[in-house]
Amino acid sequence: MMTNTKVKEKIGKSAFTAAAVLCIIAVAAIFVFLIVKSLPAFKKIGFFDFLLGDNWSPDKGDTYAGESLAGSYGIFTMIVGTLAATVGALLLGGVFGYFTAVFLAYFCPRRLKRVFSSVINLLAGIPSVVYGFFGIVFLLSKLSVIAPNNGSGLLATSIILGIMILPTVVSLSRTSLEAVPRSYYEGAVALGATHTQAVFKTCVPAAKSGITASLVLGVGRALGETMAVVMVAGNSPTYPNSLFNSFRVMTANIVMEMGYAGEVQEGALVATGVVLLLFVLVVNLLFSLVSKKTVRAAVKPKNKTVVRKKTFHGVARLRDRFGNIAYKLKTSYIGRAFAIGAGVLSGGILVLVIGFIFAQGLPHLLKNPKILYGKFEFGSENITIFPSIVSTLMAVGLSLLIAIPIGVMTAIFLNEYARKENIFIRIVRSAIDILSGVPSIVYGLFGMIAFVGLLGGKSSILAGSLTISIMLLPTVVRSTEESLKSVADSLREGSLALGAGKMRTIFKVVLPSALPGILSAIILSIGRVISESAPFMYTMGSVITATPSSYLDSGATLAVALYRLAGEGWYMQEAYATAVVLIALVLGLNLFAEWIGGRLRKKLKGTEQ
Amino acid sequence: MKIAEQLFGQNISVKNANLHYGEFQALKNISIEIPEKEITAFIGPSGCGKSTFLKCFNRMNDLVAGCKIEGEFRIGETDIYAKETDVNALRKNVGMVFQKPNPFPMSVYDNIAYGPRTFGVRKRAELDGIVESSLRAAAMWEELKDRLDKSALGLSGGQQQRLCIARALSVKPKIILMDEPTSALDPISTGKIEELCDELKKTTTIVIVTHNMQQAARISDRTGFFLLGKLVEYGDTDKIFTSPKDERTERYITGRFG
Repeated sequence: MMTNTKVKEKIGKSAFTAAAVLCIIAVAAIFVFLIVKSLPAFKKIGFFDFLLGDNWSPDKGDTYAGESLAGSYGIFTMIVGTLAATVGALLLGGVFGYFTAVFLAYFCPRRLKRVFSSVINLLAGIPSVVYGFFGIVFLLSKLSVIAPNNGSGLLATSIILGIMILPTVVSLSRTSLEAVPRSYYEGAVALGATHTQAVFKTCVPAAKSGITASLVLGVGRALGETMAVVMVAGNSPTYPNSLFNSFRVMTANIVMEMGYAGEVQEGALVATGVVLLLFVLVVNLLFSLVSKKTVRAAVKPKNKTVVRKKTFHGVARLRDRFGNIAYKLKTSYIGRAFAIGAGVLSGGILVLVIGFIFAQGLPHLLKNPKILYGKFEFGSENITIFPSIVSTLMAVGLSLLIAIPIGVMTAIFLNEYARKENIFIRIVRSAIDILSGVPSIVYGLFGMIAFVGLLGGKSSILAGSLTISIMLLPTVVRSTEESLKSVADSLREGSLALGAGKMRTIFKVVLPSALPGILSAIILSIGRVISESAPFMYTMGSVITATPSSYLDSGATLAVALYRLAGEGWYMQEAYATAVVLIALVLGLNLFAEWIGGRLRKKLKGTEQ
Repeated sequence: MKIAEQLFGQNISVKNANLHYGEFQALKNISIEIPEKEITAFIGPSGCGKSTFLKCFNRMNDLVAGCKIEGEFRIGETDIYAKETDVNALRKNVGMVFQKPNPFPMSVYDNIAYGPRTFGVRKRAELDGIVESSLRAAAMWEELKDRLDKSALGLSGGQQQRLCIARALSVKPKIILMDEPTSALDPISTGKIEELCDELKKTTTIVIVTHNMQQAARISDRTGFFLLGKLVEYGDTDKIFTSPKDERTERYITGRFG
């Protein structure tokens, strides 16, 4: 009996460790595959000609064996385009998100707070193709009135990206604003500062590093965004010279040409992915430096006094200015107006996106419900998204089956077995950090090279599910680990002190208490599989006509189908209907997550029996 | 119960115990003999090492990263830090009640049944019997018999702590360690737990860490006074509280420091 328990413990520990090792292998594989595939292209084109050349005109006939290089492969215009779009997104979404966060933390009536939090969560959950689609049907048509072209270009891209990074900026900034001790605010108000002054001059400076971190994370998101940008940027490989000229970002380059690339071209596209990955990694490194500083400031008493000094300095400065009533009015009303305006506007954006698409799509969906379950017929008006619904469900099922066990086991390893920091644990943690930063299109590239390659060169739901599973890992690991951390140590001690082994403690005491976190990981993952499109384009395929009958068949998910329908421009009604279905799914998942989360928490607290 | 019964006695014998947390030495050369079926109290100011020492007896310190233990710890004849000692069996025989009540987020019944189930009891009738006898031993049966299937988290703090005692009793430990079991409780709940200790010592050895000197004086047979990681004085409770030999003990129990 005893040896039996010991064996179980050993097996358990090795299984958890193996899951963690898999995370490391995933990262290593991504780098190895991308580098091996892009190295010949770098060599053939020349590293600096590739990075700094501003002429991108691939020649399909180019091969590595061939003598001359007829095509030209410089991505500098796209690097500039990516940076310009990111700066634009930061100017719009960053500033806007900052004020929205201040609004939520300090100006929002308590009853509205929950509504606004859900709104922000929903904005984060809307698939990027839906944003892109909204960009095409709403934004571009409005902009084309003032634009010399159809409205596509830097402005449209910045607006769409700005909306997309908004939730990231808001939620992280808000968390750090709400972590500012109440006493700072009280200190300022006690000196006679108005509410607005206390907020902007005392509380906001104290949360500065958290807000900076949120902006850096937003930048990472903007750099890696693919589908929404592809749909509104225009995509000519030129510099963004004005607000309204067609330009191309790095991610778009990959999506646009991967489907029909020649040999060198394919290498160059993978190389574009490598450059993109490097950009994102640098940004993530910056993020971890900034956010570590935040944590340190909050934990170490030494730094705390520094923060406090600064704060009181701010208060003193305020006091000096009290004579100036005009100044007081200005900070009071303008700050308040900005914060409230931003909060209301971000709510308005959600209503606009959802409302517009529903208003256009719902009537069509109700009139032709066959679109959901009908059979596809060529040459007819009978477009159906039934095959895509099947493909999406198959991808959701398989990827959860892969990602949830590995992710949960890795989280268990990190939280239950790895309390002492050592080099292996640090590597696992950085692997997960890196995985969470890799842009979705790079996952798509990797999946195409690795899984599609291994499965005989044909895209399939299996390859797509494997690809997205890796992408889901960091979310699952983090969400699970967060909830494992929230399980009080006293429960573990209670179980161990009764003579229970580690495995029994984990499975009977710790995991049941961590269930809400695991469940939210599952819901988040489902939402992710439904929303993502870039990782699927070249791994699962974008065929929307045939219903898959096995995991080795290819098939487009709903999001990919929306991209196809909207991109071809012939089936706009069907595209609207698809967008309605996507939004409804995401909305439903969000509501379900909130409902079940609340229920489980209540149950664990023992208030509901 | 299917567990391989290692021979654990009911008395504890420690020789030259030293314990380090990294660089910091938390226990300095402690030797003590704790007799069976008595209540032994450890008193002393915060951070003096009394809880740390207590946790050596069921090897809960194993869970603390960077903790190094030297010296000889015996329960009965068994060297509990020997390689062949089964930690789980040790902890089954040496139960523990913690400072803050830590019921599992399950029903009252499942909380008590957790221990027996750990050691292979599956039959419902047998579990029912253990749950009832454990709750009776903790003087809680009448209070709880109608709400066995309710969450343990809905109980009051005092009830939760007594439930934890009942849970510790469910695996029939020979020794029970109590780490400031009443520090989070009101006087009435404290009184109930003290009565319970008095009842339990008929069959079980109890070692209790307490901040409350009156409590030590009220319930314990023997008292050890700890200061800065050392066992300053150890003996019959009556003697420690009426005529302490060491000046530091006297100053502490008369309330001049700590």
